[in-house]
Amino acid sequence: MKEKTHTPPLFYTRLFRWFCKEDIYDELQGDLDEEFVLNIQEFGIHKARRLYKKEVIKMVRPSIIKSINAQYTSNNHTAMFKNYSIVALRNLGRNKLFSSINIIGLAISMVVGLIAIAFVTEMYSYDDFHEKGDRIYRVVNTRTPLNQTPSEYATTSVLTGRRLASDFGGFEAIAPIYRGFSGNMTYGDVTIIQGGIYTNNDFFKMFSFPLVAGNPETALSEPYSVVLTEATAKKLFNRTDVVGEVIEYSNGDQLKVTGVARDAPFHSHIRFDAIGSLETLITKNSSVVTSWGSMWSSYVYVLLPEGAKPENYQTSLDQLAKEENEKVKRYQIAMGLEPMNSIVPGDGKYNQMYTIMPKENLKSITILALIVIISACFNYTNLSIARSVKRGKEVGVRKVVGARKTHLFAQFVIEAIFVAILALGIALLLFQVVRPGFLTLNFYMDRTTRLELTPIMYLYFFGFSLSIGFLAGFVPALLMSKLKPVSILKGISTIKSSRRVDLRKILIGLQFTLSMGFAVLVSLASKQYKFALNYDLGFNTENVLNVDVQGNDLELLKAAFRKVPEVKGVSTSSMVPSTGSSNSDYARYKDPTDSAIAYTVDVTPEYLDNMGHELIAGSNFREGETQDKIIINELMAKRLKIGTPAEALGQSLHFYDKNWTIIGVVKDFHHGTVNDKVEPFGFTSGRSNHYNLNLKLMSADITSTMSKLEDAWSEVDQLHDFSAIFYEDQIERTYSEISASIKTFGLLAGVAICISILGLLGMAVYTTESRVKELTIRKVLGASVSNLVLLLSKGFMPLFIISAAIAIPAAYLMFERTIVQYAVYKINVGIWELSGGALLVIGIAFLTIGSQAAKAAKMNPAQNLRDQ
Amino acid sequence: MKGTHLGEFQEIVLLTILVLDDDAYGVTIKREINQRVKRSISRGALHTALTRLEEKGFITSKQGETNPERGGRPKRYYTVSNRGIEALQEAKELRDQLWSQIPKLKLQQPYTG
Repeated sequence: MKEKTHTPPLFYTRLFRWFCKEDIYDELQGDLDEEFVLNIQEFGIHKARRLYKKEVIKMVRPSIIKSINAQYTSNNHTAMFKNYSIVALRNLGRNKLFSSINIIGLAISMVVGLIAIAFVTEMYSYDDFHEKGDRIYRVVNTRTPLNQTPSEYATTSVLTGRRLASDFGGFEAIAPIYRGFSGNMTYGDVTIIQGGIYTNNDFFKMFSFPLVAGNPETALSEPYSVVLTEATAKKLFNRTDVVGEVIEYSNGDQLKVTGVARDAPFHSHIRFDAIGSLETLITKNSSVVTSWGSMWSSYVYVLLPEGAKPENYQTSLDQLAKEENEKVKRYQIAMGLEPMNSIVPGDGKYNQMYTIMPKENLKSITILALIVIISACFNYTNLSIARSVKRGKEVGVRKVVGARKTHLFAQFVIEAIFVAILALGIALLLFQVVRPGFLTLNFYMDRTTRLELTPIMYLYFFGFSLSIGFLAGFVPALLMSKLKPVSILKGISTIKSSRRVDLRKILIGLQFTLSMGFAVLVSLASKQYKFALNYDLGFNTENVLNVDVQGNDLELLKAAFRKVPEVKGVSTSSMVPSTGSSNSDYARYKDPTDSAIAYTVDVTPEYLDNMGHELIAGSNFREGETQDKIIINELMAKRLKIGTPAEALGQSLHFYDKNWTIIGVVKDFHHGTVNDKVEPFGFTSGRSNHYNLNLKLMSADITSTMSKLEDAWSEVDQLHDFSAIFYEDQIERTYSEISASIKTFGLLAGVAICISILGLLGMAVYTTESRVKELTIRKVLGASVSNLVLLLSKGFMPLFIISAAIAIPAAYLMFERTIVQYAVYKINVGIWELSGGALLVIGIAFLTIGSQAAKAAKMNPAQNLRDQ
Repeated sequence: MKGTHLGEFQEIVLLTILVLDDDAYGVTIKREINQRVKRSISRGALHTALTRLEEKGFITSKQGETNPERGGRPKRYYTVSNRGIEALQEAKELRDQLWSQIPKLKLQQPYTG
């Protein structure tokens, strides 16, 4: 024991042995040992060991450590790299089928990866152009109504901003922004519609929105001043040197142009056509700038001084919130600071200034892309391992000639990277093809994403393809470089190990699980989508065109449209049922303790005919006698225990703070989406403003009818464009989220199936090729073609069954959890809906295997036996 | 930079080798320097200096005997060559010359504030 403790630290000795140059090792190690012994005598074992470690560490210097190139000159490196490249290219050329399977498979999956990279990079590049961006914070609100759960808002009252500036210190700049500066602007005979914001001079100090004309320090100091963007100025004046001009705003205000700002970049979460001075609202003493409660469409941004910590401002915010909350009873508001850099992608706060891509979308797209890419890497791995038998000879010879493990590993990884870079080339082309489709995938994409390729993205793409190459080539390279030359050169049969076959099977199984899962999910989702669209709503939406009134006089519009002969009926309504919007209150009949939530739509008398609502009892509204009259649905009569439809007539309901007389009862219909139940419902007439005009059309030539309608519209309104949509299209738009899911999953299912079928094709080719001799002999002995096909396919069957057993429940769970999470009315999921997708995939798979097997089986036996 | 220039540490190493006469090898050189100059140098740093000196031709080395503490690894003995002695003398002369040029040597009082 004593002997052992008197030896120097083993690890350090080994370490030194490892890094020290050969020719000086003996001298130095000897000196170290001798000194170690001396040190033990002088200082004792512990200090001696410590000193030894220190000495070894200090040995790490250029004059002592082995140089990396010591054994091979750099010349040799480039030569070997050249050789690897040539061999890689030759191999690609020799096995055209395998190479194209690999390259195409990788390319297809890479497209998904490229989109994900471009998309995520783009989202994180939002708001990067602000020079002081890392010091800008947004005040956000958490509002808790009495006895309810809190909700988080991106908005804050303007009052907060004003009070932070006047009563609390420490901010470099504070810009309250009110979103409500939208409406018409007139200069001479030009009128434009614009959407802008109100803010103060600090806005320009804080954000990098430069002015091309005007003084940013004073532009918004005066009330009734306005800064236009270049685009807005061009629209209104057809020029940009407009400082000093006066324009008229839709509320009658005369606004003086004090500056022209450069247009906000696309990747900004703040967008505007014009900026009005907040002073205008302050002068008018508008409640928007004085009320703590009006926090619904205003924002407060603050610029903190250099080096300031946002946590230090929390006390000021809490203090302010406490003071203001004391004055109100129905709700409490808590405030916090949110860094501007984390606004996009969004974390689900309400009332964002502009459409903001939610973080979840980023996450799901990244995960899906990873799944697809890994699946494609499996293919490469699989096929390479399968072919390792053939490449084995090359490996053997290389090893005998003197290649080391690391060399062979490098060679095979380089080969994989080669394939990956070729695939990247194809993927870039495909990317341009897929891009427009991706951008129109859903509402969010369209508004927030461009997928423009910047140099940095090309760099990411390149890095991405390198890592894909490494990922795909890693396992085969490892296996190949481990092969023992003797056993390879002796005979190829010896390297077939059962373990490797298992790995391949697992990889194929995983791929098919994915493909089947996606396929099942797509079939379920598209069934639900069709179900939602063709759902019998209980009224007739066919040939109904809904026109956005856009603030025009209803009677004028109605009269104009009536002149078009194809229009068979004209009505107006406050909203369009079945498209997701609703208006509701608690309704009561005689029993004051029994109330039911009831939905309403305000309509004109023609509406019920237009939509084909069926009156079971009573009558429609009569023109001029609509006050306090209501037409209810059957469920309302039932729910409030009013009695039969006939009994309900003439009864009185309490609703919206007054009494309503029931004059009719309609058959139940769906006023919500498939996510809502049918609830008590009532039609009123003349209660609220109407924003929709419903035209019942009877037309053989819809295009000419539409142009006639457009003409009729422009008789009344020259300023706004005619905006109309067929009821059925509007319903379709309501379910756009499902259709976006279908598109996404459909694309991924396609990609996943493509990749796994490609992989399977490769495997089938390989299996048949390697068993050609066996098959031929079987054939000679009398096996039929179908026998042989069965023989070859048999092995894959358990694989598919296991994959399906995993994929189907997983896909069903996913469908329940995401797509129909909130749906009240959904499809009946039967055996066919579930297994259809999986069977399809299995069918394609067997076709692939079968075609290869049949090809082999049909060959002339004599030829095969002669060749072998 | 290579040539006859002698760094301060290299000068000390050369002198130490001369002091140790025919017992100058890694361990003894290192210990001698540690004791005399009162500065802890590592064997690695010493190796670098020895390599440089050998490259400049100021020292020569030859393999010597071993002992049990070294686990059978031979020592390497260093001796200063004539060029090395010349270089040392040159360095000394340069210093003496400079010393003689100093008009009056006075030690400054340490500043006490």
